[in-house]
Amino acid sequence: MTTITPGRAVRRTRSAHGAERTRRLLTRLVVGGLLALYGLVSIYPFLWMVSAAFKDRWEVVRGGHLVPARPTWETLIGTWNRLHFFDYFLNSVQVTLLTTVLTLVVYAAAGYAFAVLRFPGRTMLSRLFVSLLFVPGITVMLPIVLLENRMGILGTHLGLVLPFVNGTAPLSVLLMTGAFTAVPQELRDQARVDGAGEIRVFTRVHLPLARPALITVALLTAIPTWNEYLLTRVSLNDPGTYTLPLGLQALAAESVPHYNDLMAGALIVVIPVVLLFLSLQRYFVGGLVGAVKG
Amino acid sequence: MAGSRSAAPGAAAGRVPSGCQGPLGRPAPGGGPASAAGRAARAGRRREALTGYAFTAPAVLLFCVMGLYTVGYGLTLSFAQWNGFTPHWTWVGLDNYADVLWRDPRYAPRVHHAALNTLWVMIGVPLLTVAAAFPLAVLLNRAGRMQAVLRSVYFLPYVTSGVAVFFAWTYILQPDGAVNALLGQLGLGSLRQPQGWLGNPDTALPTMIVVSAWGAVPVAMLLYLTGLQGIDRSLLEAAQLDGAGWWRSTASVVWPLVRPITSIVVLLNLRDSLQGFQTFLVMTDGGPGDHTNVLGLEAYRLAFLKELAPTLGLASALGWLLFAAALILALVNLRALRSTT
Repeated sequence: MTTITPGRAVRRTRSAHGAERTRRLLTRLVVGGLLALYGLVSIYPFLWMVSAAFKDRWEVVRGGHLVPARPTWETLIGTWNRLHFFDYFLNSVQVTLLTTVLTLVVYAAAGYAFAVLRFPGRTMLSRLFVSLLFVPGITVMLPIVLLENRMGILGTHLGLVLPFVNGTAPLSVLLMTGAFTAVPQELRDQARVDGAGEIRVFTRVHLPLARPALITVALLTAIPTWNEYLLTRVSLNDPGTYTLPLGLQALAAESVPHYNDLMAGALIVVIPVVLLFLSLQRYFVGGLVGAVKG
Repeated sequence: MAGSRSAAPGAAAGRVPSGCQGPLGRPAPGGGPASAAGRAARAGRRREALTGYAFTAPAVLLFCVMGLYTVGYGLTLSFAQWNGFTPHWTWVGLDNYADVLWRDPRYAPRVHHAALNTLWVMIGVPLLTVAAAFPLAVLLNRAGRMQAVLRSVYFLPYVTSGVAVFFAWTYILQPDGAVNALLGQLGLGSLRQPQGWLGNPDTALPTMIVVSAWGAVPVAMLLYLTGLQGIDRSLLEAAQLDGAGWWRSTASVVWPLVRPITSIVVLLNLRDSLQGFQTFLVMTDGGPGDHTNVLGLEAYRLAFLKELAPTLGLASALGWLLFAAALILALVNLRALRSTT
């Protein structure tokens, strides 16, 4: 470090202050411009989704402008009322909540055991969960459907939740084990000396300290579950059990798809998950990075 | 991957300063009370082990049913012929694999074509993703106050990845959609696709590759960003002292330093390109013709859309081939990662 500061100083005295400042401003402008450009690319489909959701049937067919000439709430309200979107919404909430809660309970306990308790087969078990990461969804989708058919839970929300929970295992186990490993051993020892049982140590000492990791796992479970489409599509038959993505699919499969209705439906699907992400994103970013860097 | 390798050592490292086990586990010097203490320790250890099994039991049970059982079932099914309804399977050995790979003229040519398309996706998506995500992360790293806001904006494609946003893409890629209109406004009218970007057989697959990369950039960008923030600043300043400009130091100092991250990004995208097909199912369903048919989609068709034809074994075989390919990719990538670091 010390060898570098003089070098910087030399450069600064050599270059004219004004030129340096313009150059810096220019760099900032170019950087800002490029970043803004990709921001636009990033939200481009959403811009048009919102735009179409506020157009009526005539205007959406004519295409053209991003900003609707006669913006209307009718499309959104119509889609919401006419197409059972509230039922789909409730179904989505149910499946997502159940999956998230079960994931937290099951893998917080498992992560605690892997991180804190000592028992034969621990390492092998935790590796087994992570190895699940390599099994392609399509390879197990058919067996899952056949198995659930035999168990009689195919087409129910429980039949979705169980494989979803198991699907989060690699990431959840990694994150929870990591979080519990970071809790100092002395805290547990102290609690044990004070007479706390294992469950009490787990719920009173480790769980509160692992709150950020729990939120990360919850988000990393809830977001993909909310959007899940493939297993849902091959599992559910009764429109009464449809989740939002399937409701949207049903809307798209109509003989003449009206893009304003379809985009209104898409907006309804997207808004809750965007709000969830925005309100909890700091946990999300940290957790995702931690998960992949392992 | 990186995760699976380091998870176990990490957990093991956390065990080392175990204050509870240390003093109790070893017999205390001094004879008499040693055996009593030893017995107590053994009882304690047994209780701890039982607690461990109890805590992992729900996860293991679920794993056995939804993981091990289904994987085993799928593997078994790949050696049989079945349509999903008849009471018995017909064992055919390795015939399914042979049929899918080269023998059956009804399936093999489709699989070959899908494999070729998948190969293009596997080349295009990782390349595009790295090409967009790395520069983006470098720029974002210099963005200062705007960084948090921009990061959220860039993350939208990941958060909303699903049917809704794929329909939005389909909408703007229509013949009279926003993308064509935009090209017209930019004076690039000659690039417009009158059949729509997904309707023209020549542009459909490249368009799908771009859309897939668009969805893959957020996570890659975030990984690069953390990698960049972990780089020792003195290295960069040393490079600048040696006269390297911003371009030079980014290309010859930063880029090599984030090689492990590039490796992870490439692996993740290769895996997803090989197995993923949701985007294709929703946006093109393999069309026009079979121009965007990929292997995952073909396996899905064999498994779920063949009504009474006995193709479930074929679907399983194809699924297992995909699994094997993913595993090989992961191992190759792991080796490449080890040799560079």
